Order: sequence, then structure tokens, then C-alpha cells
Amino acid sequence: MLYRFFLACFAPFALLHFPMSKTSKDNSDKLILAVPKGRILKELMPLLKQCGIEPEPDFTDENSRKLRFTTNHADLDIIRVRAFDVATFVAYGGAQIGVAGKDALEEFNYADIYSPLDLKIGYCRLSVAMPDSELEEADCTRRSHIRIATKYPNLTARYFERKGIQAECIKLNGAMEIAPSLGLVRRIVDLVSTGSTLRANHLTETETILEVSSRLIVNRSALKTDPERLGDWIERFRQAILS
Amino acid sequence: MNSFDHFSVLLPNGFEDLLPPDAEQEARAITILMDHFAGHGYRRVKPPLVEFEDSLLAPGPGAALASETFRLMDPVSHRMMGVRSDITAQIARIASSRLFSEPRPLRLAYANDILRTRASQQRTQRQFCQVGCELIGHDDLLADIEICLMAVSALKALGLADITLDLTLPRLTNEIMKLYNLSDAARTQVRAALEKREQDSLDALDPAPRESLKALLSACGPADTALDQLARMDLPAELRPDIDRLAATCTALSKALDELGITDIRITIDPVENKGFEYHAGTAFALFAKKARAELGRGGRYDIVCGQSGDRQSATGFTLYMDTLRGAMPASKPADTLFVPSTESWATIKTLRDDGWRVIHGTGQDDRERLQCTHELLNGQIHPIG
Repeated sequence: MLYRFFLACFAPFALLHFPMSKTSKDNSDKLILAVPKGRILKELMPLLKQCGIEPEPDFTDENSRKLRFTTNHADLDIIRVRAFDVATFVAYGGAQIGVAGKDALEEFNYADIYSPLDLKIGYCRLSVAMPDSELEEADCTRRSHIRIATKYPNLTARYFERKGIQAECIKLNGAMEIAPSLGLVRRIVDLVSTGSTLRANHLTETETILEVSSRLIVNRSALKTDPERLGDWIERFRQAILS
Repeated sequence: MNSFDHFSVLLPNGFEDLLPPDAEQEARAITILMDHFAGHGYRRVKPPLVEFEDSLLAPGPGAALASETFRLMDPVSHRMMGVRSDITAQIARIASSRLFSEPRPLRLAYANDILRTRASQQRTQRQFCQVGCELIGHDDLLADIEICLMAVSALKALGLADITLDLTLPRLTNEIMKLYNLSDAARTQVRAALEKREQDSLDALDPAPRESLKALLSACGPADTALDQLARMDLPAELRPDIDRLAATCTALSKALDELGITDIRITIDPVENKGFEYHAGTAFALFAKKARAELGRGGRYDIVCGQSGDRQSATGFTLYMDTLRGAMPASKPADTLFVPSTESWATIKTLRDDGWRVIHGTGQDDRERLQCTHELLNGQIHPIG
């Protein structure tokens, strides 16, 4: 019968044949470098230059609404995102390389991020601070529970866990310094660089949880599948720090 | 409008319904893999979903997974049971007990779902299917190569491209730390530093272990350059046999891939990869592909302890994770489906089905498009639709 002929033409077991999907060469083969906006970016710019990365002019234009920028390298684009989000973009493979603070890396503790290089920029520390007026209670070893305002609930909880104290973290995204005086919490955990914000709000730094600097990070899967290109960029950054 | 109660269909975090065509694609992929393993003489086993905690988490492959295993109490025996969070441990148990007297090497394969207490960033599902095979009781180069080769060709059979086989020696860093008598605290620090590939975090160590570990860190990358670096390194003599074995594996593997005409496989070496390889001894590996955002599978050599005798047997094998594999596999073309009007005889429909067609026996002409048929039978002839 005639349909037997058609059978030969249209293989009914089509699912067995996995056709190669065509992805546009442009996007799938480009490396994405994620960098943080703001303070760190200013410190990072000279380093990028030393690595031979020159972003398009829009990149330094504060008013530009663009989020993704081309560079002088055809296969490298830069995205400019919030400092905390760099680690997330790299962890999920949205970007292959990035520059992220040790604070964000430790807070999220992503399994698939390597952070091979200390870029020696963005120095600060993650510290515990409390109101000057309560300093006599600084020793909290008698407590089983403490309430803390922070942007870093995981790091904070882990730090106090090791002291045998349960930390109840209230997540704030800024202006933690005001929280103790308004009776929200007794302590805060936040990044400190000069300490002037703390002093202005009558807070004293009591313990340092983590010394922070920015690190070059890479996605594990990307490094394994594209070791030459990523290895080359890591090496360029390594040389740039040395010089 | 959907009128179902949205709350009643909410699934717990890490669980999903697989719908058409995904469920079928996964099932077919599993069939391809199992056929592939069977073709190499691997026989399928099917361990139970639940077993007693003490056997499931016994020393060896099982022990490392304790924190990921759901536990429940057996109301009958009043003993604690665990829901498997990995199949390798179960295969090890079977090989060392019920199949203890089977001739070695023993080749076993499996494809089963597992359950984990936590999802992770990279593995967002708490339930997923593990497909793999184990080669038990043969500690030689040929076995290592057989397993690597099977893993790679299994991924090729599923249509994956740009595959990376990343080889590692999980014991290497532990041996170096033991050799230099590092304290427990220092070992924890070194493990954390190596896990994140942070060279500078090793600076606090004494010069000798520091230089060894840093040299290992810098020997990560494409196999030929990494092996060169490892060969030139001033490593303790005790570690040489493992490294020589790794080098031999690489050479033999490249030759085999060459003979098979498989060219788009990249072999890399990462001598400090250790996380998740806690029970491995000897060469181990992880599998990646450019289109996949996480590891596709992993494998390697480990020891199993045999029942009462306490004898150790060397085994090697690998596991593929169907959840990440599904995301990396090329999309499958919808299957050809033939619309046959209800006026056709049952005998005709049977003949068509016997020929391999998926036949939808329609009651009305509108079914033809509504049910996404690709072909129709008109006056005894098959025509493509559209």
C-alpha cells in the first residue's frame, strides 16, 4: 500500500533523532564579564584597562540605561549589575566571569563558583557593631539568642552559631545604623570601611567577622568547557594585579 | 479560564510534573542509555526506594550522603529507614552481598529516581533520575578507560555536543596534607581554599605544603598541559603511581576516542577537585557540556567493603543526572502522528500501528488539527498536514 512508502520517508520514531539546534554564534560564544556598579567599579576600571579590556563609551556614562556593553574584544561583553548580583549571575552561568566581594561570595556560598584571584581592591570588613551606650554588655556569651539587623543573614547566623548563639536576623538593605536606636535590634552586622557612619550613629565596632576584598570569580562549568579562553582571562587579571 | 484551585496544585519546592513532550524525551533518553550499557554487557538491577539506614548509609559511597537522605521510621520493625539519595551505594551493597559470589568483574546498570532532603543552586530538583553503571572487582587501567569511554559515548548517543571530561585524583590533596602532617584546622582551611581555587588563601601554610598545593592548583586545565605540569612537579614519590595512572588513562582514552572518530570531546584535568568525591580512591571524573549549566554526571573509582569478610573490592562507575541532562539535550522534534478517520477499519489501524505510526483514531474531522496530527490517512494514502 502507498502509506508504506511514506513510512520510509517520514520516520515515525522522530524522537529518536535529536536534531542539532542552531544557536546564533554571536550570543552563545560570547563570554560575559559581570562587574559591580558603584564604588568598586571606580577602583576596577584601571585594572580592566591593564587587562586590555576597553568597554564601549556608554559603559562609563552614568546616565546610560544600557545594562550590557560591548568591549574592544569581539567575544567579550560586560554587564553592570548590583554588587550582590554579580555572584548570582556567575553562579547560574548567566555570566562566565565576574568581580565580586568576598562578603557576597561567603553570604551565598555558591557551590559552582571558583574565586581564584584576590584583586586587591574594594577593601573593607564585615563587622558587628552595637550602641556605644550598651558597651558593657558587649560580651554576649551568656545569651542564647540575639537579634541583629543585617544584609548578611547567612554569614551572621553562621558566625554566631559558632559561638553557640542563635542569631535572629532582620534583613535590611541599607541604613542598618539607625536600627538599634529605634529599638529594632541591639546589634548590626554591616560592611565597615572607615567607620565614620558608625561613629555618626553612636555605634561601636566590636568584632570583625570577615576581611573583605573583591575577587575575580568564574563559573565552574564554563571553566571546564572553555578552559583556554577563561584561563587566558584569569592569567591577564593575575598579571594586572602583579604590575 | 482555568478553574482549578491553585493552592491544591502547588508542588513542594524541588518537585515537578513532567508533561509531554518532556516526560517522553526523558524516557527515551533513558532507554537509549540503558541499551547503550546493555551493549557493553552491563546488566540492569533495580534496588528498592527505601532501605534500613544502617545499610543505606554504610561506610563507603553511602556514608557521604547522610545529610541528604530523608529518614523515616518503619512502623513494622521500629527501625530507621532511609529513602535513597544516590544509587551507587545500593549497587555497592548488592555487589558485596547478594551478588558476592558472581564472577568478577561484575557489570551492573541502573536507572532510578532518587530523593534528596535539599535542593541546591545547581541541582534545583529534590527528586531526579540517576542513570549509571558500575564495573566491580577489576582494578586496572582498562576498566577505568571502559567507564570513561562509556560515559562519553553515552552523552554522544543523546546528541550532546562540546562535552568535557574533567579528570581528577580526589585522594591527592588529602595525601599531601597527610604527608606534611597538617593539623585538622589547617586541613579544613586548605579544603576550603582549594574548593574555591583561592591560591592566596594557601599563603599561611609552611613553604613545602604551600608550594605543592599551589603547583597542583596551577596544573588545572586541558589534559596535555596539565599532565606536563604534573610531570615536572616536585611531588612526593608516594603520589607518583596515581599520577602515572592518570597520565596513562588520558593517553589511552585519547587513542580510543581517536579510533572511534569522536573528536569533539575535551579532556581536562583538575587535580584538586575533591568536593563530592569523598569516597573515591583513584581516578575520578565529572562530565560537562557547553550547553549545560551544571555538571551532567560524575564517576570514578572507589572501594566497596564486602559483608562479613570485610574484604575490599575496587569498583568504578558513573552516574548521569537526568534533570541536568534533559536541559542540555537538543530539543526533540514532535513525533509524527497520523490521523485516521473513524470510518477506517480496525484492521487498517492495526496495520498502521504495527508499521510504527502513532495513530489517532478520530471521531470528528476537527480532531485532526486540535490533536496536532502531522499526517492524515485519506482514501488509503498518507498525506502530511499543513
